[in-house]
Amino acid sequence: MHNWLLPEYIEDVLPAEAARLESYRRQLLDLFRVHGYQYVMPPMMEYVESLLTGTGHDLDIATFKVVDQLTGRLMGLRADTTPQAARIDAHMLNHQGVSRLCYAGTVLRTKPDGLARTREPLQMGAELYGHAGIESDIEVQRLMIKALQLLGMQTLFVDVSHVAIFASLSHMAQLETQQEEELQAALHCKDVARVKALVANLPVKAQQPFIDLTHLHGGIEVLENAHDCLPDTPEIAQALQEMAAIAARLRSPSVEVTFDLSELRGYHYHSGLVFAAYAKGYAGPIALGGRYDEVGAAFGRARPATGFSLDLRGALLALGPAQTSMGVLAPVSDDPALQTMIETLRAEGTVVVEALPEAPVHYSELACDRILQKVDGCWQVLAV
Amino acid sequence: MITIALSKGRIFDETTPLLSAAGIHALEDPEASRKLILPTNREDVRLIIVRATDVPTYVQYGAADLGIAGKDVLDEHGGEGLYQPLDLNIARCKMMVAVREDFDYEASIRQGARLKVVTKYVKTAREHFAAKGMHVDLIKLYGSMELGPLVGLADAIVDLVSTGGTLRANKLKAVEEIGAISSRLVVNQASYKVNRPLLQPIIDSFAGAIRHD
Repeated sequence: MHNWLLPEYIEDVLPAEAARLESYRRQLLDLFRVHGYQYVMPPMMEYVESLLTGTGHDLDIATFKVVDQLTGRLMGLRADTTPQAARIDAHMLNHQGVSRLCYAGTVLRTKPDGLARTREPLQMGAELYGHAGIESDIEVQRLMIKALQLLGMQTLFVDVSHVAIFASLSHMAQLETQQEEELQAALHCKDVARVKALVANLPVKAQQPFIDLTHLHGGIEVLENAHDCLPDTPEIAQALQEMAAIAARLRSPSVEVTFDLSELRGYHYHSGLVFAAYAKGYAGPIALGGRYDEVGAAFGRARPATGFSLDLRGALLALGPAQTSMGVLAPVSDDPALQTMIETLRAEGTVVVEALPEAPVHYSELACDRILQKVDGCWQVLAV
Repeated sequence: MITIALSKGRIFDETTPLLSAAGIHALEDPEASRKLILPTNREDVRLIIVRATDVPTYVQYGAADLGIAGKDVLDEHGGEGLYQPLDLNIARCKMMVAVREDFDYEASIRQGARLKVVTKYVKTAREHFAAKGMHVDLIKLYGSMELGPLVGLADAIVDLVSTGGTLRANKLKAVEEIGAISSRLVVNQASYKVNRPLLQPIIDSFAGAIRHD
């Protein structure tokens, strides 16, 4: 029996890849830190009531559950860290003003998900609580862009949407919950035929805006088209204005801002601007984020909230296989000068591996391409 | 490079006029060639020939940017990671429930019988019967579903019906329509975001060439 085989979509990360993953994890956390985002480490599991409140059905399905032997209550293994950060902001910190939190850790999903098609993404993210204005949306999106650039992505596409537009149309058409959900699913995949079928029983005037939503995606011209063809409600006008402001502030030679008004990912969870980052060579979004002002309410303290997260494993997929960084092999010796030399090298950040007596020397297995050798009474680093 | 995933046969034949409208012509005939990647007259567009049921998978994983797949196949796949912006109105048929000519489907439903159903479309069948509040046992087959009721494997089949000829030849009758089927253009979501300048003209040309009859 192959007892050592792992479950499907669960994997070991081996040395070269693990080293690269950890290096980027540290660099990203340093980036978040110098932007004022404080690191938190929420638990791997907690009661499902706190883990899933206000987050919708999809996250419920994605969450592994176990029974707590101490209380008989159902616990969930986190499938997303964002609600945990919201809980920490709402209850543990109790800041009156703005709080900025970041996190990095494994989450578990019942079904393989995301770019890496894994059930164990390494989720990293940054969240900003306590500010409702567009400036905080811009701040987190800029941080997301910097994070992806740090991972080596040259040209980024930031796709922006706004859930208030669909919400306003849905409210005007007085859609029932079931119809709203079906319509939202059809819009999400731009299934024009299905959208038409779903709105067929609405008054003619109310039908067209939903159909128009499926076509409202592309560059900045989308906002003007939306202005022309969508009803002139205050909510829609404000949403379009916010999207225009985002585009003006984010666009740069290496960042293209696109819009997609039928993008309704996490409609029940998000409350305003939502965004996703794409790059060539990736089959799906690399980072996702948006505003979720209502989630804190489930924890008794509604706070404006916006943030983003990414799966670090998925984000590194297009980089190709990781290369092992090579070190220096030190021979077996009692020479105090050698010990001094080894510690000097290590203090500089060089990997020094000390040989063990009678152990076979395979340079590739030891990940060494240089050796320490005594030349003219002096220890020197030489190529193998 | 834009990759379009297609299946051989009816879908390929009925897609050719749409591709022509977009100025894309395959340089080889898939029926005559054994190649799975077909070059086109455009250097930046290629076709890949895959099984019909695999088209959504290729597009979902980004191995193809565009694909043409029947709604039957998309419903089974679930459509994750895909946009379905166009109903191409080609390869039309119906998803039906069919039984033996001498089987009283309505009466067995009224009695609350638990039917055995053979089908290739397990998800579609499950959702259809669940919506009707019927208990069924589904048996997955990969072909020749019509045989199921004839040899006592099942009471009913769920399958695509275009002319009904195969049903009649095997003394079966269609008793219920689950839905109309036609082929859809599917687009990888990420590719649509980053390759819009290349993809949009092709999609618009397809949209302009759809026949409504």
